[in-house]
Amino acid sequence: MAEKKTRKEPAAKKDTKKPVSKATPAPAATSPDKELGKGARIGVYICHCGTNIAGSVDILAVQEYAKTLPNVAHVDNYQYMCSTPGQKKIEEGIKEHKLTGIVVAACSPRLHEPTFRTATKTGGLNPFRFEMANIREQGSWVHMHDREGATAKAKDAIRIAVAKAALLQDLVPKSVPVTKAALVVGAGVAGMQAALDLANAGIKTYLVEKSPTIGGRMSQLDKTFPTLDCSQCILTPKMVDVGRNPNIELMTYSEIEEVEGYIGNFDVTIRKKARGVLTPAEAEARGIVGGGCNGCGDCDTVCPVIKPNPFEMGMKPRKAIYIYHPQVVPLIYTVDFDSCVKCGLCVEACGEKKAIDLEMKDEFVKVKVGTAILALGYDIFPIEKKDEWGYQKFENVVTSLEFERLICASGPTGGHLVRPSDGKTPKKVAFLLCAGSRDNTGVGKPYCSRFCCMYSLKHAHQIIEKIPGCQPYIFYMDIRSFGKMYEEFYYRIQDEGAKFIRGRVSNILEDPETKNLYVMADDTLLDRPMKLEVDMVVLAAAVQPSADTDRTRKLFGVSCSLDGWLLEAHPKLNPCGTTTAGVFLAGVCQGPKDIPDTVASAEGAASAASIPIHMGEVELEPYFAQCIEEKCAGCGMCVNLCPYQALSLVEKEGRKVMQVTEAKCKGCGTCGGFCPGGAIWMQHFATPQIVAQIDAFLLGGEQ
Amino acid sequence: MARTKGYPEPLEKKLRDTRLYEEDTNPQFTKTVEKISMTIPHMCYQCGTCTASCPSAPRSSYRIRKFVRRALLGLEEEALTDPDLWLCTTCYSCTDRCPRDIAPTDVIMAMRNLAAKRDIVPVNFLKTVQAIYTTGHGVPNNDVNRAARKKLGLNPEPPTTHGFPKYVKGIQYILDYFGLKQRADKIIKEREG
Ligand SMILES: Cc1cc2nc3c(=O)[nH]c(=O)nc-3n(C[C@H](O)[C@H](O)[C@H](O)COP(=O)(O)OP(=O)(O)OC[C@H]3O[C@@H](n4cnc5c(N)ncnc54)[C@H](O)[C@@H]3O)c2cc1C
Ligand code: SF4
Ligand code: SF4
Ligand code: SF4
Ligand code: SF4
Repeated sequence: MAEKKTRKEPAAKKDTKKPVSKATPAPAATSPDKELGKGARIGVYICHCGTNIAGSVDILAVQEYAKTLPNVAHVDNYQYMCSTPGQKKIEEGIKEHKLTGIVVAACSPRLHEPTFRTATKTGGLNPFRFEMANIREQGSWVHMHDREGATAKAKDAIRIAVAKAALLQDLVPKSVPVTKAALVVGAGVAGMQAALDLANAGIKTYLVEKSPTIGGRMSQLDKTFPTLDCSQCILTPKMVDVGRNPNIELMTYSEIEEVEGYIGNFDVTIRKKARGVLTPAEAEARGIVGGGCNGCGDCDTVCPVIKPNPFEMGMKPRKAIYIYHPQVVPLIYTVDFDSCVKCGLCVEACGEKKAIDLEMKDEFVKVKVGTAILALGYDIFPIEKKDEWGYQKFENVVTSLEFERLICASGPTGGHLVRPSDGKTPKKVAFLLCAGSRDNTGVGKPYCSRFCCMYSLKHAHQIIEKIPGCQPYIFYMDIRSFGKMYEEFYYRIQDEGAKFIRGRVSNILEDPETKNLYVMADDTLLDRPMKLEVDMVVLAAAVQPSADTDRTRKLFGVSCSLDGWLLEAHPKLNPCGTTTAGVFLAGVCQGPKDIPDTVASAEGAASAASIPIHMGEVELEPYFAQCIEEKCAGCGMCVNLCPYQALSLVEKEGRKVMQVTEAKCKGCGTCGGFCPGGAIWMQHFATPQIVAQIDAFLLGGEQ
Repeated sequence: MARTKGYPEPLEKKLRDTRLYEEDTNPQFTKTVEKISMTIPHMCYQCGTCTASCPSAPRSSYRIRKFVRRALLGLEEEALTDPDLWLCTTCYSCTDRCPRDIAPTDVIMAMRNLAAKRDIVPVNFLKTVQAIYTTGHGVPNNDVNRAARKKLGLNPEPPTTHGFPKYVKGIQYILDYFGLKQRADKIIKEREG
């Protein structure tokens, strides 16, 4: 920092940490801007954040110290820098003191960098002339009981920030056009709602679903709490809408294979798994006029292979060529090639429609979208892992999702709840809440699965309604009836006669003769252990992210929390966004949610995802690499190193030099750190800027 | 004798103030129990899985959940002076199943240690100490056993301190080292005269 030596304030020297050696002058030649840092006048603003910072940092001492730093032209402090008067200070300071750069020492840049950049801009400077010193999250909060240490650390942070601020350049964000199309992955109620909202807002939407039909878990449910409307009845109209909406391109039995690009311009490769059956459109494309699957089911009748139907939780058979249930959308059969014996009977039965192609291969489709929504939903936790409840050991222990199918009129038993062991109607049914949820043993899940209390109340109601004299027992720890009309629903079910026992079930035993079950629990309110003989047990099993969630989220660069649910950008203020710009979350994949919350989150995600599309362009942070052409030897090594394919070699004035496609560059710095000739300039994180920060830290900035 | 209104217990006992008062709790007790037991009773959410697992609970007034609660609240006197403290079989069923990953068994063991420090130990436990001291066994061999062993073609004395009585000395050395036998003798004498 040769420039620094020309600073105006011959700063007082009192920092004992300062070693003897001087900062090595930065190789100014690496700067594309030879004037970098000349005549820098930095304004430093220290925030109290109420007592958040001022409580453990000596603000005045830090202010006095900041005045001694090179290039610092003005120092001030304020209660809340992010408030309007706080921002005004910056704007006025720039004019009054002819500042060239701003440092705010406050919270994390994730919180208020945009705020202060705007203030810097309003004051008349380029917004990238701003640098933040984090003295809260990394200072006062972690050193809450060490005032001296926190104060010293705040001084360090400011010294480092000032060193960089002195070398900041004007940068102009790049605007890129946004493709007017969106992608929704997963077509449960969340994905369907998001796709419908986007489509109805005039946006072309690709809806990709891994299973052969849309609808997700909600289509497996019988009724829905607290209103008890029939799940299929309220869902099928939406399914039909999705199937018919001209703006929705539905791709079932498909998965995301690859994602490239960035907000506004994602290139997505979708794998259309070989379904073995052609839609009428696909048939027509192959020249089979009037052909393709019309859902007649003639193939199903002749297929000799029988497999369990996963939609019915394996309690009903399907053939190797199948649909999940009669209301599927789209109504197209699917061949399960893992079990198909290629006998060809179905092809014959299908006849002139020529819908079946037993040699079909996976296909890859590329689409371009501006934004994407993940709505990947959930799976049931494998509750057999908690072996004390005997799931899969005792026939009459079922999960709640199995119960939904057993009580559903379109289910395997036509809606007659029966015991799996003998087909008899149960008279006493125990419901075990928090089965595998709220479990810190490492076997189950530490979180509350959030909808099991309510659906178990619903289940109790259903058996009281359907089976006269049948007694439901609900074993619970807490009844979490937090939603609108939920507590009232709890009241109603208790009034209908469900018995609530406050105790978690320790274990279940089976009578080998009758297959009846003994439920062992502590009636904690009575303080007495109990042993209750019942005909059937329903486990309100925990939920977990669906199987393919981890692979899919990584393709989009989306993080997950410790428990595997996808991580929102902010749990309160940005629950639908992610840390990848342009990628949003809807429904249970972000964390357990009932249907009302799922739909609300889907509408939120759709709204957020439509904003960039409606704006038509987005600004990218100008943190891309730049080639300093006079230094580039044209070796091309960086081209292969870039993980985002942003670099290429081009001919210029008779020699080869590297060129950056700015929109593709994510500013990761891989190339910049590598280039042997120092020919790559990482905007906003340039070598002299970083060296200045390191020097300021190690050598002190007051020399 | 007060009026009983036909109930077996005296009325004043029924009518005594059973409210929980701040003075009944000792936060230090929670910490001490956690330190000795190396488990976390303060995380108990009172689900009852432990009591429901407990083989003692259906046969007695012993409630493991209540002891975990006492550990959480620091109810030292109530926990240490309750004779139920000694009804745990240390089967560890509760520990296997507690969803909060607490080891209630170890909470009980810690409380027993603390009770023993204050000489609050049931006499039958102390008599076990005496039996171990004299024979090396908590439940020494007897004629019925001997006959059964003979019938099975076994040596009537098992290959323990019964078969090798000279090793009883070693056990006595250990018990003497910790002063356990002397302690047991003293307490039994105080109680039984
Ligand atoms: C037994 C039970 C009863 C319930 N009862 C009620 C009730 O009465 N009322 C209520 O409000 N809520 C109820 N719920 C909760 C309800 O099921 C959920 O709120 C709702 O289904 C969530 O919808 P979703 O779209 O987020 O997830 P899902 O329904 O799980 O949908 C996710 C979809 O994404 C697809 N998918 C997953 N991964 C991928 C991938 N990688 N690529 C492509 N596609 C993928 C899946 O195949 C699926 O179609 C109940 C839940 C259970 C378990
Ligand atoms: S070819 Fe496969 S799907 Fe078709 S009938 Fe035979 S087994 Fe079934
Ligand atoms: S919703 Fe109810 S049953 Fe489900 S985990 Fe939460 S508290 Fe337990
Ligand atoms: S099982 Fe664990 S959490 Fe439940 S009451 Fe017992 S100690 Fe508490
Ligand atoms: S270890 Fe003790 S408290 Fe726990 S279940 Fe066994 S006997 Fe009961």
